[in-house]
Amino acid sequence: MVLVLALGDLHIPHRAPDLPAKFMSMLVPGKIQHILCTGNLCIKEIYDYLKGLCPDLHVTRGEYDEDVHYPETKTLTIGQFKLGLCHGHQVIPWGDLDSLAMLQRQLDVDILVTGHTHQFKAYKHEGGVVINPGSATGAFSSITYDVNPSFVLMDIDGLRVVVYVYELVDGEVKVDKIDFKKTAAPQPAP
Amino acid sequence: MPAAPTGVPLPGSFSPDRISGRWLRFSNLRGVRWRINLRIFPSSSSASIDEIRRVAANARRSYASLRRQLLIDPHAPKDGNRSPDLAMDNPLSQNPESTWGRFFRNAELEKAVDQDLSRLYPQDDHYFHTYACQAMLRRILLVWCIRHPECGYRQGMHELLAPLIYVLHVDLNYLSQVRGLHEKYFNDEFDRSDCEVVSNRTLKKVKSWDCGSKFTNFVDDLDPDTRDVLLLSDPYGAEGELGIVLSEKFMEHDAYCMFDGLMNGADGVVAMNQFFYTIPSIGSSTGVPPVIEASSAIYHLLSIVDASLHSHLVELGVEPQYFALRWLRVLFGREFSLIDLLVIWDEMFLSLNDSCAANDEYEYRIMCSPRGAFILAMAVSMLLHVRSSLLATENATSCLKRLLNYPKKVSVEKIIEKARSCQILALEANMLGSSQTGLMMNSSSAVSRTGSQSPKSPIRIMPDSYWEEKWRVLHREKVIQDGDLNNGGKGSGLFETLRTEPYPSPSKNINKKKEAHSIAKHSLFDDLSQNVESVSDEVRSISTCQGSPSLDENVRNCFSEFMGEECPSAENFSVLTINTGPNNEGNDPEIESEKSSLTSNSFIRENEDDNGNIDEECNKAYDPVSKKLESCANVESGQHLDAEMKVVTEAKVRKSASSRFQWLWRIGNGSFHERKMEKGIIAGTQQPSIIGNEDVGHEKYVSSSSDYSWHGDSAKVEDGDKRMWGTLKKLGQSVLENVQVIESVLQQEPGKDGDILGGDGQSAAMAALKDLRKISIILSEM
Repeated sequence: MVLVLALGDLHIPHRAPDLPAKFMSMLVPGKIQHILCTGNLCIKEIYDYLKGLCPDLHVTRGEYDEDVHYPETKTLTIGQFKLGLCHGHQVIPWGDLDSLAMLQRQLDVDILVTGHTHQFKAYKHEGGVVINPGSATGAFSSITYDVNPSFVLMDIDGLRVVVYVYELVDGEVKVDKIDFKKTAAPQPAP
Repeated sequence: MPAAPTGVPLPGSFSPDRISGRWLRFSNLRGVRWRINLRIFPSSSSASIDEIRRVAANARRSYASLRRQLLIDPHAPKDGNRSPDLAMDNPLSQNPESTWGRFFRNAELEKAVDQDLSRLYPQDDHYFHTYACQAMLRRILLVWCIRHPECGYRQGMHELLAPLIYVLHVDLNYLSQVRGLHEKYFNDEFDRSDCEVVSNRTLKKVKSWDCGSKFTNFVDDLDPDTRDVLLLSDPYGAEGELGIVLSEKFMEHDAYCMFDGLMNGADGVVAMNQFFYTIPSIGSSTGVPPVIEASSAIYHLLSIVDASLHSHLVELGVEPQYFALRWLRVLFGREFSLIDLLVIWDEMFLSLNDSCAANDEYEYRIMCSPRGAFILAMAVSMLLHVRSSLLATENATSCLKRLLNYPKKVSVEKIIEKARSCQILALEANMLGSSQTGLMMNSSSAVSRTGSQSPKSPIRIMPDSYWEEKWRVLHREKVIQDGDLNNGGKGSGLFETLRTEPYPSPSKNINKKKEAHSIAKHSLFDDLSQNVESVSDEVRSISTCQGSPSLDENVRNCFSEFMGEECPSAENFSVLTINTGPNNEGNDPEIESEKSSLTSNSFIRENEDDNGNIDEECNKAYDPVSKKLESCANVESGQHLDAEMKVVTEAKVRKSASSRFQWLWRIGNGSFHERKMEKGIIAGTQQPSIIGNEDVGHEKYVSSSSDYSWHGDSAKVEDGDKRMWGTLKKLGQSVLENVQVIESVLQQEPGKDGDILGGDGQSAAMAALKDLRKISIILSEM
């Protein structure tokens, strides 16, 4: 019963002033156990805000981030799942599933979270999941038209992960749910 | 199931059927009995086992459904046909109705519950801290709190629940015990394939299954208790397995029922959940939260029973809720060990919870039912138990310290006894409260009452305090002899010649009526002596009693004989003197002469000169003993001694002491001497101090009684009864001082090395106790 928030590409203050109000009201401290941020926050204030939501915050470096010390990629284990985090501008072509799959195999993770395209995507691919939470502020992107603010909440429970997608469409929050189940991977003998 | 805490006797060994002669059904099965008392089970004595089983089964069903409904798992799919509305049912939903919202709220509740559970009964943790038990407690508390959102979870509820689970667990242990003893009865023969029926008993059993009738005489040859146990745990009785009353599987359900019953009060007066509210309950006359109201009810009852203690506490500013909150909210769970607590709760649940107030004119709602009255009475009795240490303190902090760290080794039975009598008082007080102009119970006392009173007395007619009651009973007898006694002669006897003299009563509520004074003291000291007994027992248990108990016994016996008016003979007295002879190594010859004068005196009831002499000598004698003991005991503290020194004023007054007290002093002195000899600890140093303190003590004694006219040397002028009066007053004070001594001694114990206190404190306390005992006996005979 672990709740993991995945978001990114806020581009505050350059392309957006702030998170949408409806999103802000939903994100209250105390419910979420981990936050995975793909990058492009861009300033420290956003980092502090996210840290206030949940102390366990993981950020990877986006190309516009002002803090240069974030890592390029990050992996962590939550429950039975291995999660990988990367901004995605390093993976070319941007948003290409096969290239992202290559990264996933490289990082050896079950769930890969990337961003940069500002568009929500969730693929089930080769025994793993690739998730793109989109842009939480709906910031302008040169490769995507009509960006809607969106983020992702993962509910990890044993071998099952339920992905809730929150999207702000026409001023209303729409929620969608996707279920993924991990097949119990056999542990390789040392 | 993990074993019960070690060292816990199983219920069979102490089934407390204190109401003598009344057979309590299921006296060995606390769980069942409590459920009957809490009105969960049918309480009529003819309720059959089948009915009990059915009720148990129904209760369990309802709990199971409640649990399923309330302890939600948000992952569990809802009714399959209805797809969840994601806008509402997502984890971040703000909607309070959403399952996730409830889930998070429950998680908060669970956090609070867990915090308390981890601290539950740390000393008995091998039962209460097992995973299974903690999980059960958690679920029960969660379900109850979710069910009662107006109350929520408050600290203390877990402590109410824990003993309930514990008694169920103990019942199960008892069941296995019985099962071990009577194995053949518990064999499961339902599925026997062989057609042979081994015994008549089995035949009957089989018949009961086959025709479904209530054919229970297959267990005729068992005693009723074991039979009950067997039927309660029979898997083929009513409701099958769900109806097995003593069942481990359904312990959680049963505990929930008991907890619910306790909290709701089952339509009675005392509902524990009210004690956890912080807002005044609807319809309360006082407009304060119920627990505050109950705390003030405690003080109210205390003012009836012991107004001096009450006024002392009020003076110090000790509000009742400071300590009573904890006492009431967990029903004394924090003050007593688990075993003692079970005994107390036994008694508490035996009292019914129905309201006996006919009308609405009561001041305290909690007093309306016997159970509420018992709770209050228990609190008052606990206060009385530590009465002397409370009276000895001069600031609120130490009072509270005493009350919040209630002494561990107490005799629960005695406290319960006292509580029972206070309970009756409380119920009466509540009854009388509504009738303002009704018949005054004791008009004489109302007229003559002077001393410390309960603050509400002008408005209502209250039953008098415990001691006054006794006094009044005796007083009625003496009223008849009023005329005779007023002739100022001593001829009729020492105590009959007592005259009253108005003087401010000491800490006890002593009426200023004439002859009755000694009787009042007598009744007072009766109780005080009982207190002394209990205190002395405690001291004995704490310290190795190196005194001379045999001597004490002798002394006491002789005392009673001595005091018995029926057989006043010099012979008795000589017996006494013989007893005390060997102990009187250090006595002055002066005392010898007084002793001889004693023989010619008191019973013969002759001249007041001698009376005066002896009386005064006794006073002087008795008090030095007590003072000396005090000084011994307080060598470390040194407070009392200083206090005494300060009040040393007047010259010795040598007259007007009753003969008996002189004799008493001799005994006390002698036995004290002997004790010292035996112990050899304080021997040398104390001897001179005894003599030295004689004067000190005496002077203090005198000065403390300087309120009233002390006719000093002109003993012959005033009647001996006046002196008697004075001596009795002094007696009272010295008794109080002795008790204080003992209390301070006992209090000092935990903080000091055993050695330091061992000699001085022990001996001092023992001596003080013995003196107290003697005084009480004197007065009881008067």
